[in-house]
Amino acid sequence: MIRLIPYLLYLILTGAHVVILAQISSIYSVQINLAALLVLLVAIYKSELAGAWFGFFVGLVLSAGTPGLVGWHALWMTVLAVAAFHARERLNLDSLYAKLLLVLSGVLLHNILVLITTGATDFWYQFLTSAIPGAIYTAVAAWLFFLIKEDRITVKKIKALF
Amino acid sequence: MQNRISGLSYNSWRILNLAVITIFIALLVVRLNAVNQIVSQIVLNVTHSPFHKITATIQDLSSVNKQNRLLRDSLAVARLQIDALEEARRENIRLRSVLGFEPPPGYRLLPARVVSVTGGQLPISATINRGFYDSVVINQPVINQVGLVGRIQEVMPGYATVQCLTDPLNRVAVRVATSREMGIVRFLPNEGMILSDFPNQGAIEIADTILSSGLGQVYPPGLKVGVVTAVERPENTPYANIHLKPIVNFRSIEELFILIPEEQ
Repeated sequence: MIRLIPYLLYLILTGAHVVILAQISSIYSVQINLAALLVLLVAIYKSELAGAWFGFFVGLVLSAGTPGLVGWHALWMTVLAVAAFHARERLNLDSLYAKLLLVLSGVLLHNILVLITTGATDFWYQFLTSAIPGAIYTAVAAWLFFLIKEDRITVKKIKALF
Repeated sequence: MQNRISGLSYNSWRILNLAVITIFIALLVVRLNAVNQIVSQIVLNVTHSPFHKITATIQDLSSVNKQNRLLRDSLAVARLQIDALEEARRENIRLRSVLGFEPPPGYRLLPARVVSVTGGQLPISATINRGFYDSVVINQPVINQVGLVGRIQEVMPGYATVQCLTDPLNRVAVRVATSREMGIVRFLPNEGMILSDFPNQGAIEIADTILSSGLGQVYPPGLKVGVVTAVERPENTPYANIHLKPIVNFRSIEELFILIPEEQ
């Protein structure tokens, strides 16, 4: 049960992102896709089933405001988690750039799937102004996360700069 | 994970989990409205609602802060208006007391407002907003609703200077209201207002009212000047030492009247 606590916190973080943080952290209406990022990170660092279940619940949280799309969002997130897990199994993810590439392509794929699901009339416009910049923005956030997680950025190193 | 259900291999456990997820997703994708609504509602209540409340609270606080600032501004304006109204009320009371005030025979009243005063503890002269254009000339008496204030000392086109009774150079010929005996009122910086040249044996008592006598052709007779506060009759001197309290409070002069002779 205790092992579930981090996942619950991630779900709450996703809710906070949907309601508050997405707007605050957006740059010219380009938003971080935190939900997809969290699912990909769980798929990269945890097991396939943990990723699948987490993806399913993140999909529910992400689409709570649009009941008609709940199933689709849950499906895309679960697929994303399972796909990321299997990619992890087949690729050498020791490299930071490989992980970043996985995140970038995963988030871009999710953004495209969401655009298709929501039936955006101006698909290409949304793709160019929202999906691609959003994926890049999320990859930058992931890059910072990986640098911190792999101790490439530490408080000591930051202090040493000054 | 593998040991969750005894006797079940990891592969079977994996397939079971994925199958359950697939069934859930299928239920949600086929849009069974009731299921979707319930799931959405539960998720909204658990993960979104607290943050919506936080956002709403922050917005409320921000709006309250804005409202508070507006109310403070309005309050400041209201305070200024209240002060202005209070001042108008006091002026109204003063002017009401002036209503029905009769000038001495042969004179008419020209109202004037004090613009500035000069002097030390007590003002010895005051500038008023009436001048040559209002038929004001030098030596015209100036009074208020209580009594004699002084006389016009200097006249400019729109302004005039009043020499108050508190100026040591100003003197008034007076008489005691009851005994009709005469003297000269003047103001000494150290002693205040005194009645000089009054005979030692003259009939005067404390609380007697002193009026202008009309002698000297500057002030008309009968204007209140002061009230006797002390009478000393030293031996071997021809005159008594008499101290007066001015009838006018020179520290609070505001609205004055110039006595203009009717023939002017």
